[in-house]
Amino acid sequence: MSEDDSTTDGAPADEAVADGTTPDETAADGGTADSSTVVREGIPADEYAAEPTAEASHTSRSSVRHWLTTTNHKDVGILYVVTSLFFLLLGGLLAWLMRIQMWEPRAVGEGVLGAVAYNQAVSAHGLVMVFWFLSPFAFGFANYVVPLQLGADDLAFPRLNALSFWLYLASGILFVASFFQGGTFAGGWTMYAPLNLPTFTPDVGANTAILALVLFVASVTVSSVNFLTTMHRMRAEGLTLRRLPIFSWSILLTVWMMLFAFAALLAALLILSSDRVLGTAYFVQETAGGTLLWTHLFWFFGHPEVYIVFFPALGIMAEVFQTFTGRRIVGRKWFVAAMVLVALQSFVVWMHHMFLTGINLQIKTLFMVTTIGISLPFDLMVFALIYTLVKGRVRFTTPFLFCFGGLLLFILGGITGVFLGAIVLDYEFRGTYWVVAHFHYVMVGGVTALVGGLYYWYPKITGRMYDELLGKAHFAAYFVGFNLLYFPMFVAWETPRRVFQYDPGMAPWHKLSTIGAFVLGLSFVIMFYNLTKSAFDGERVGNTPWEFSRTAEWAIPSPPPAENFPGIPSYSDGHLSFRSREATDGGSTGATDGVAEATDGGVAVDAHAAGEHGGHAGQAGHDDHADHNSVWPLAVSVGAFLLFLGVSGIREGTLVDGVAGSFYAFSAAAGGVVVLGSLVAWAIEPFEAPEGGFGEAWPFDGVENGKLGMWIFLASDVVLFGGFIGAYVFTRVAAGWVGWQPVPEDPIPGLMNTYILLASSFTVVLALVAAEKQHRGGLIASLTATFVLGVGFLGNKALEWQHLFHTGVEPTANIQTSTFFLTTGLHAAHVIAGLIGTLYLIGRALGGAYLTDHRPVEYFGLYWHFVDIVWLFLFPLFYIL
Amino acid sequence: MAHTKLYTAIFAVLFVSATVQVLVEFAGLAYWTAFGIIIVLSAFKAVLVAAYFQHLRFEPRSLTYVVVIGLAAALALTLAASYSIL
Repeated sequence: MSEDDSTTDGAPADEAVADGTTPDETAADGGTADSSTVVREGIPADEYAAEPTAEASHTSRSSVRHWLTTTNHKDVGILYVVTSLFFLLLGGLLAWLMRIQMWEPRAVGEGVLGAVAYNQAVSAHGLVMVFWFLSPFAFGFANYVVPLQLGADDLAFPRLNALSFWLYLASGILFVASFFQGGTFAGGWTMYAPLNLPTFTPDVGANTAILALVLFVASVTVSSVNFLTTMHRMRAEGLTLRRLPIFSWSILLTVWMMLFAFAALLAALLILSSDRVLGTAYFVQETAGGTLLWTHLFWFFGHPEVYIVFFPALGIMAEVFQTFTGRRIVGRKWFVAAMVLVALQSFVVWMHHMFLTGINLQIKTLFMVTTIGISLPFDLMVFALIYTLVKGRVRFTTPFLFCFGGLLLFILGGITGVFLGAIVLDYEFRGTYWVVAHFHYVMVGGVTALVGGLYYWYPKITGRMYDELLGKAHFAAYFVGFNLLYFPMFVAWETPRRVFQYDPGMAPWHKLSTIGAFVLGLSFVIMFYNLTKSAFDGERVGNTPWEFSRTAEWAIPSPPPAENFPGIPSYSDGHLSFRSREATDGGSTGATDGVAEATDGGVAVDAHAAGEHGGHAGQAGHDDHADHNSVWPLAVSVGAFLLFLGVSGIREGTLVDGVAGSFYAFSAAAGGVVVLGSLVAWAIEPFEAPEGGFGEAWPFDGVENGKLGMWIFLASDVVLFGGFIGAYVFTRVAAGWVGWQPVPEDPIPGLMNTYILLASSFTVVLALVAAEKQHRGGLIASLTATFVLGVGFLGNKALEWQHLFHTGVEPTANIQTSTFFLTTGLHAAHVIAGLIGTLYLIGRALGGAYLTDHRPVEYFGLYWHFVDIVWLFLFPLFYIL
Repeated sequence: MAHTKLYTAIFAVLFVSATVQVLVEFAGLAYWTAFGIIIVLSAFKAVLVAAYFQHLRFEPRSLTYVVVIGLAAALALTLAASYSIL
C-alpha cells in the first residue's frame, strides 16, 4: 500500500502493531502475517482450520521414494538445507586439519598434514565452503520461502528445480570422490594458472574437482533460470516489486547476478577442462597472457560471487530485524535501491583482485575507484539496519542474535576490505592473513545470519519450536568461537597465506585461533542436538510463533500444506487475502492466457497432459500428488555423475592406463546413455507445471513462462560464448592482433557453413509458420530440412577439421589453433544439442503434435537462431579477420 | 501468414551480406577498414535474426533488455580485459 516512510516512521513500534491492529503497517511490506488479519473470501473458516498440520502432504513424506522423486519446492528446500549442512561438516573438518597443523610453526613433514595434503585441504576447504555449502544453504531457504512470499504454488519449473538439487548433490559427491583419485585439486580455491594445469596438479582427482565444479555450475544455471522465471512471472495479484518482501528481493538480485557471473565461470571452467582433458594451450606459460586470462575470467565471476553469497544473508538480516524489532526496515526503498546498485556494480570491480598482476596502472586506478564506490551502497544498507534497531523494540531471540551478530561481523569484515581495495595497501596486504581474516569476517559473517535464518524458519519448516535456551547457548559459543578464531588473524596478519610455516613470534595468536576453531565448530553440536531433538518433541506452533511477523509464509500453517495456500493469494487491496479457488476456477483462467499446457523449460517439452489448471488451480487437482513427482531429474543427475567421472580419467587427450582406464571409459559411455535416455523420458513424461501470469508479472507481462525461461537461459549463454570469444580476443591482443593469422587458410568452407546455418534458421521459421497454419506436412518437411542442414553443417565442419588435422594443424599445437578448435567446437556442441531437439520435434510432429500448440517449435527456434547468431560472429573472427 | 515474404526477404539479405563479408576480405582494403565493415555486417545480420526470426521486435522490450544486459557483461569483460594489457 503506502510505500512512504512517513506512514511508518511516525508509528510507535509497539505491540499494537505486532498484533496487526493497524493493518496499513503490515501491508507495507506486501505481506501481512497474522492470521487474524488474513481475509479469506468464500472459504469457510472451519474448512481452513481443519487442516492445520496438513496431513495430506505428509502421508508420503516418510517414504524414501517420495524424497527421491519430489518436485515440491518445500521438499527441495529441505533437501538443499540438509545436504548443505553435510558439506559444512566436510569443509569444517578440513579447516580443523589446517588449524591443527598451524598450532605451531612447523617444517614440512611435521604435523598431521604433509605439504601436498595441506594444499589439498586449503583448496578443498575453500571450494567446498563457497560452492557446496554457502550458496546451497541460502538457496534451501530461497526454495522454501520465496514461493510462499510470492504467493505461488511452486516454482515455474518444478522438475528443473529437482534437477538443480540432484545435480548439486551429484557434483558434491563427485568432488568428494576426487579425494580418492590420487588426491583432489591442490592449487588453491582460485585455481590460478598455470598451477591448475596437469603439469603442476597431475592427479586424476584434480580433473574430477574441476569437472565437479562444471556440474555444479550446470545446477546453478538451471536454478537461476527457474527462479528468475518464477519471481518475475508468478507473483500474486497486487504483489508488485515495490511490495516484494525484502528477503525475496535479495534472492531476486542474487539470482540475476548468478545468471551472468556463473556463465563466465562456466566459460573459465570449460576452457580449463579442455586444457586438462584435451590438452589445449590456453593457460600454459608459453601462451602470452595465458595465466592472466584465467584471473580475468575467474574474478569476473569471483567478485559478483562475493555478493551472491552475501545477499541472501543480508535479506535474512533485514527480514529478521523487522520481525524482532516490530517495525518495517528504515528506508526500505533505499535499501532495495542500494542492493540493485551493488548488483550492477559487482560486475565492474573484479580487477581489484589483480592489483599485483601486470595489468596497467590506468585500469588499476579505475578499478580502485569502482571498488571504493561499491562500499557506499553497503554503508547505506548497514545504517538502515542499525537505525531499524534504534527505532524498534528489540526482542533478543536466537534468530535475532545471530543476525545482529552477523551484522557486527560484516561491519568489521567490510571495513577491513576497504583497505584491500586501495592499490598501495594491497601491495602490502596481498597474500597475508589480513586477507584471510577479512574475507572470513565477510563470508562467515554471512553464514552467521544464515544460521539465524535457519532458526527463524525452523518452526515454519518443522511445525515445532526449537529450544530457545540452547539456541542462545549456541549463539554465545558461536560468537566467542568466531572471534577467537578470526580476530587473531588480523593481529598476526603478516603470516603468509596458504602455507603453514610462519614466524614463531606469532605462534600465540595462531594457538588462540586454533582454539577458536574448535569452539566455533563444536558450537554446532548444540545446534544439531537442539534442532534434531526439537523436530520430535518441540512445542507445536500454529501459523507463526513470532509476535510480529509480516510476510506471507507466516500467514499459513506450519508446515504449510502441499498446495501452500487455502485459496488464491491476492494483495490487490493492500493486504494478503485468499480468494476461493472454486469461485474463480472457471472465470479467471481467462486471465492466465487461457493456455493450459505446461512447458517445463530446458528441453522443448510439450506436456501432452494438458494441465486442467494453471498456477492456482482447484484444490481437487492437488490431491493427486503422484502427478507432481518425477524420477527423471534424479536419473539425469546420476547419468551426469557417471559421465563426468568417466571424463576425469582423460589427461591431455589420453585415457589413463590399465583397468582404471577401462572403468573410466565405461563410466563415461554409461553416463552418456543414461543422460540422453532420461532427458527423452523427461520430455515424454506428462507433467503439470504451474502457469505464470496470474498476478503481477512486471516486466514480463504477456511472455509465458517457457518463453521467458528460454530467453533467460539464452542470455546466460550469451555470456558463456562471450567468455570464449573474450578469451580469444584477449589472447590475440596479448599476442599482437594483426600478426595472428586465421587457422583455416581458406574462408570458403566457413562461408559455406554460414549459408547452411542461415538456411536452417530460415527452415525453422518456415516450420513455425506451418505449425501456425496447422499444416502438418509443411511442419514435418521444414523440421526435416532443418535437421538435414544441421547435419550438413557438421559434416562440412568434420571435413574441414580432418583436412586441418592431415596438414598437421592440431588443437594442442598453440593458442591460435586452441582458440579456433575449442570455440567453434563449443558452437558445434550447441548444434548437436539442437539436432537432438530437432529429432525429438520431428518424432512428435509425426504423431500430430504442435498444430494446436506450436510453442515448443517456437522455443526451439529461439535457441536455434541464437546458435546461428553466434556463428555469424565466429565466422568472421575465426575465418576472415 | 503474410510474414512469409518478409522472412524470405530477410533470408536473402542475410545470405548476401555473408557473401559481401568475404568479398570485402578479398578486396584488398586496409586491415582495420575491412575489419570495421565486416564486424558491422555481422552485427547487422545478428540484429536482423534477433528482431525477425526470434521476433524480438514484436515482444515486450524487456526481453531485448535481458539479452542486451548479457551482451553488455560479455563486452565489458572482453574490452576491459583486453585494455588491461595494452
